[in-house]
Amino acid sequence: MRPGSLEIVALLLSFSGIFTSPLSAEPDFEKEIAPLLVKRCLECHSPSEKKGDLDLSTYQSASAGGESGPALGKPGKSLLLKRISSGEMPPKLQGKSRKLPENEIALLREWIAAGAKWPKDRTLSLYERTTEKRGGLDWWSLQPLKETPVPEVKNTEWIANPIDTFIYRRLEKNSLQPAPRAGKRTLVRRAFFDLLGLPPTREQLDAFIKDDSPGAWEKLIDSLLESKHYGERWARYWLDLVRFAETCGYERDQLKPNIWKYRDWVINALNKDMPYDRFVIDQLAGDEVSHRDEQSVIATGMLRAGTWNDEPNDAADYVYTRLEDMVHTTTSAFVGLTVKCARCHDHKFDPIRQTDYYRTASFFWAGYIGQANLGGPNASQLGFNVFGWTDKGPKAQPLHLLVKGDRHRAAQVVEPGFLSAVPALEKSLQPPPPGSKTTHRRLQLARWITHPENPLTARVLVNRLWQHHFGEGIVRTPNNFGFKSDPPSHPELLDWLASEAVRGGWKLKRLHKLIMMSSTYRQSSTHPSHDEYAGRDYANRLIWRFNRRRLDAEALRDSILTASGRLNKKMGGPSFFPRMSPEALEGLSRKATAWGSSPPEERSRRSIYMMSKRSRLLPLMTTFDFCDTTLSCGQRDVSLVPTQALALLNNHFVHEQSRAMAERVAAEAGKEQDNQVRTAWQIALGRSPTEVELMAATAHLESQAMHFKEQEQENLPLTSLCHVLLNTNEFIFID
Amino acid sequence: MPKKQNQHPILYPCGQTRREFTWEMGGGFAGTALTWLLAQEGFFSSNAHAEEKKRPGSPLSPKKPHFAAKAKSCIFLMMNGGPSQVDTFDYKPELRKYAGQSLPPDKKFINSGGRKMGFLTPNWRPFKPGGKSGLLVSDYFPRVREHADKLAVIKSCHTDSHAHGSALVAMNTGSTFIGRPSLGSWMVYGMGTENQNLPGYVVMMDKRGGPISGQPNYSAGFMPSTYQGTLFRPSGNPILDLEGPEYMQQASQREQLDLLARLNREHLKKRSGGSDLAARIDSYELAYRMQAEAPKTVDLTGEKKKTLEAYGVGRKPTDEFGRNCLIARRLVERGVRFVQLYSGGGHLEETWDAHESIEKNHGRHGAEIDQPIDALLTDLEQRGLLESTLVVWAGEFGRMPFSEGKNAPGRNHNPYGFTIWMAGGGVKGGIDYGETDDFGFEAVTDRVHLHDIHATILHLMGLDHELLSYFHQGRKESLTDVHGRVIRDICS
Repeated sequence: MRPGSLEIVALLLSFSGIFTSPLSAEPDFEKEIAPLLVKRCLECHSPSEKKGDLDLSTYQSASAGGESGPALGKPGKSLLLKRISSGEMPPKLQGKSRKLPENEIALLREWIAAGAKWPKDRTLSLYERTTEKRGGLDWWSLQPLKETPVPEVKNTEWIANPIDTFIYRRLEKNSLQPAPRAGKRTLVRRAFFDLLGLPPTREQLDAFIKDDSPGAWEKLIDSLLESKHYGERWARYWLDLVRFAETCGYERDQLKPNIWKYRDWVINALNKDMPYDRFVIDQLAGDEVSHRDEQSVIATGMLRAGTWNDEPNDAADYVYTRLEDMVHTTTSAFVGLTVKCARCHDHKFDPIRQTDYYRTASFFWAGYIGQANLGGPNASQLGFNVFGWTDKGPKAQPLHLLVKGDRHRAAQVVEPGFLSAVPALEKSLQPPPPGSKTTHRRLQLARWITHPENPLTARVLVNRLWQHHFGEGIVRTPNNFGFKSDPPSHPELLDWLASEAVRGGWKLKRLHKLIMMSSTYRQSSTHPSHDEYAGRDYANRLIWRFNRRRLDAEALRDSILTASGRLNKKMGGPSFFPRMSPEALEGLSRKATAWGSSPPEERSRRSIYMMSKRSRLLPLMTTFDFCDTTLSCGQRDVSLVPTQALALLNNHFVHEQSRAMAERVAAEAGKEQDNQVRTAWQIALGRSPTEVELMAATAHLESQAMHFKEQEQENLPLTSLCHVLLNTNEFIFID
Repeated sequence: MPKKQNQHPILYPCGQTRREFTWEMGGGFAGTALTWLLAQEGFFSSNAHAEEKKRPGSPLSPKKPHFAAKAKSCIFLMMNGGPSQVDTFDYKPELRKYAGQSLPPDKKFINSGGRKMGFLTPNWRPFKPGGKSGLLVSDYFPRVREHADKLAVIKSCHTDSHAHGSALVAMNTGSTFIGRPSLGSWMVYGMGTENQNLPGYVVMMDKRGGPISGQPNYSAGFMPSTYQGTLFRPSGNPILDLEGPEYMQQASQREQLDLLARLNREHLKKRSGGSDLAARIDSYELAYRMQAEAPKTVDLTGEKKKTLEAYGVGRKPTDEFGRNCLIARRLVERGVRFVQLYSGGGHLEETWDAHESIEKNHGRHGAEIDQPIDALLTDLEQRGLLESTLVVWAGEFGRMPFSEGKNAPGRNHNPYGFTIWMAGGGVKGGIDYGETDDFGFEAVTDRVHLHDIHATILHLMGLDHELLSYFHQGRKESLTDVHGRVIRDICS
């Protein structure tokens, strides 16, 4: 809507007010007055805020009025009407008047003139409906999943599965055509990077390209989903979400012993296609489940993977900080809400009350949240030599709501409970079964999260899957589905996928396959009408092409190791320390003991097994946007900055691998230059060089040989060429 | 009070459109967060979200601050370990009277690390007035004293933690908990930087080690890593990965870059919408220029002998900090926005953490930095750079007015009262602000919390600490959170 058009509407409406006889039907409370009071007044005049001692949520409190007297009364006497008509209320914001439009003032006037009728026992709530300023209980992500019928479209040829119909319908409406199907080579690389985070080998590439059978693509996806490297790729996304790192942070930055077992648990769970509900339940309550075993207790390491300060300024305060960490990680990762914003006051944008925060915090309050043993239970308390979580016993201390989050202002005790924003699933918590060693609170939280009718969980989950396949989610704020979220580009598709997730028993591999089998996914990233379409939908929200993507830090490093032939595919176990240059260690207060060393084979393992130390992350990784490890990260940045070019040009790791790749090329191709070039191209880019490229590359080998003739090392010209290939856009971008 | 220019809408600070505002919520939208690309092309369609417009410039290109201010750059002299206020800039004659007594029992505090409790102890070195203003500065800083008329000494600071790990992080990021963007990140986020061939936010460590808690002290927290501090070394290749292995000479690298550009251009030709690809091609040329530019900033051979001598370069014990101060001036001269220099590194006596002996510790560290700071202030002034450069001197906290045991010469940590000073860009010189009690134990008059320090620093740079915000996971985050008060009395 253009600026100004609102005013025109307001003007028209106010004119209509003039022509409305004052004796016409009195305003309808539910339809006209309640929304107006909620939207315009209740933010300040609610039972919890009560500005000027005025609460407009009930008839009794409104007519009793505030400091200045009764609010309602007759039109001439009504304080509410007086303040509103003069523009005194709502108060100015940053100097700007927020006087209500005339038609709204007229409505209130008519309502008051007609006796301010208020249905009996009707209590208004700030949360009952969404306004311009905040989300209410009617906010889209809080509504039950809609079973949307798959839409009908004209071009049925393009439709491979229901996903395509949702996408195509929007394209059709906007007169956009999807991009042509991507070439086979592009598709294989895309599928490999998406599912495994690794490039295909030449053999794998050739096999697919040669396979002309109609089921070739499906066969490829099935085989990739069976690969054990799938878990290594997708576990990383999960580790970002649960702010995983292996040390505590702060001065001593202690290693969290055995936390790597949690990382392995995530990898294995994904590889086994553990249903997502079980995945959630084990991480939140693996110590409370009936199938409790070492693995399920390892899963609770999620709660303990965050930062921990052994020397907080005030240990009594610090337990509340840790509660916030657990509340925030849990609610961001599983239900996409920013519950932590309600720690000190009701949420400013979402229907989350401060009591909701404490309800949620109560789930964790019974645990070993104090200062002993790196802030958690020890192995004997857990029953296994793992780094997990459990309660101190079946009973918890009462948790008080803290006014403004201040420990010294403890208010009422808040019983554990579920978010009131999902009223359909509200119920009181059950006490633990007799003889239980824990409160069984977290288990009930996990069951609430994974309840098939929880409107958030499945939507948040499928959005994450979509995001990692397409680069963007259907909702582009994956950790926030509240009022400040990005509106879904395809809401029906989101709901359809979410319903599919639940229907399919929460199995993720099935969803990956569904997404990848669609024509939407198999589009080219290049579109013949790109310039025209980009002018209309630059960000490709309607998905008229595939998004070309830069490799993330892990996929980049792993691809370089694949090209050099040095990748060590050993899975699991303690993390390795990559080589950190002395310069890179300068930022640490204890330089000498700060970094461990690992043998070279260990250093060639996949990046997910790299030690993540909070006081010093490997610069090569952070340069390529490895995320901060203190807060849940739903989506990493993708930057393109010169320091990345510096790293790929000069970093010792890249040079070592270029050298190794050159040795590999020389061993495979022999001395002949053309052969070397062809082999290098195949290894790095999975294709043969063009004539132009071949000529440029051989010329490069010759002229580099001139520079290196004094050098003793072998293969330097070839090393230089391999190094260039590892720097190309083709290597680092996936079409 | 300076007038605000180009008033930003409150909800979308830093001249952002709603689109960017939305964008930052999730920490960027992967496919489109290719920041360079966005700088170059029309950002978003008119179709899907009509109000979304083009993003102005690359993330580090210079941006106008919120209002006109004198300071364009900031040099933050970080006194790692926590210098003692009563021995340096906060003279407490009463301590002589109370010497040997205990701090009155009504003074409540946490005795950090459970160290021995001692008795009130007066300043270890005498104080003398400096300049026309006659500000009192102790003999640990006889040469800084000469600049008294440039200094605004804030004596009533207090902070939120008594432990180095969290107090350092707090002085750098505003919060005792790790994970938030540091002061320099906020500055380059808000103002960009003037020289695209150098990092906008530079940190130079003390050779003895980095700050406790490490990287979180100069991280960009939840902002893109583009805004994080870059570690800078005082010689050779100042930043990581500026140079490859020895056999890789410039000529051969040039050929590599030429081949690379050629292959990348061929690749680009076959693809539509390749502004991300083109941006990456450009980034290599930029990187190539950085390789040349960055080492020049630490190559001091072009400096006059007199200058080197003034900074104490080549002489013990001033060589290291002197070099760093001179490099800081050279960086500021070249348009780097924020430079942080650490004095003290590692732990305990290697830093200003004078548990064992104030005289030994502060004598040692004072001698390392007094002359370099003198030279820096003089040099900046002579080059006309002092007006546009804000210099801040601060530790993460102060020290107790009492000893750590009977006749023990050291002092324990004190977050309840400490002193910092500022000079240069927009700072009123020759004044002091605020007071501690008679013992120099806690701030009592015009108390200045570290949020106020940050608000004031941003203000002096032309940034409004309430407007400078970054939307992250449903909340408008800022350096000072919902706190912070600009100390207008020290602003000229």
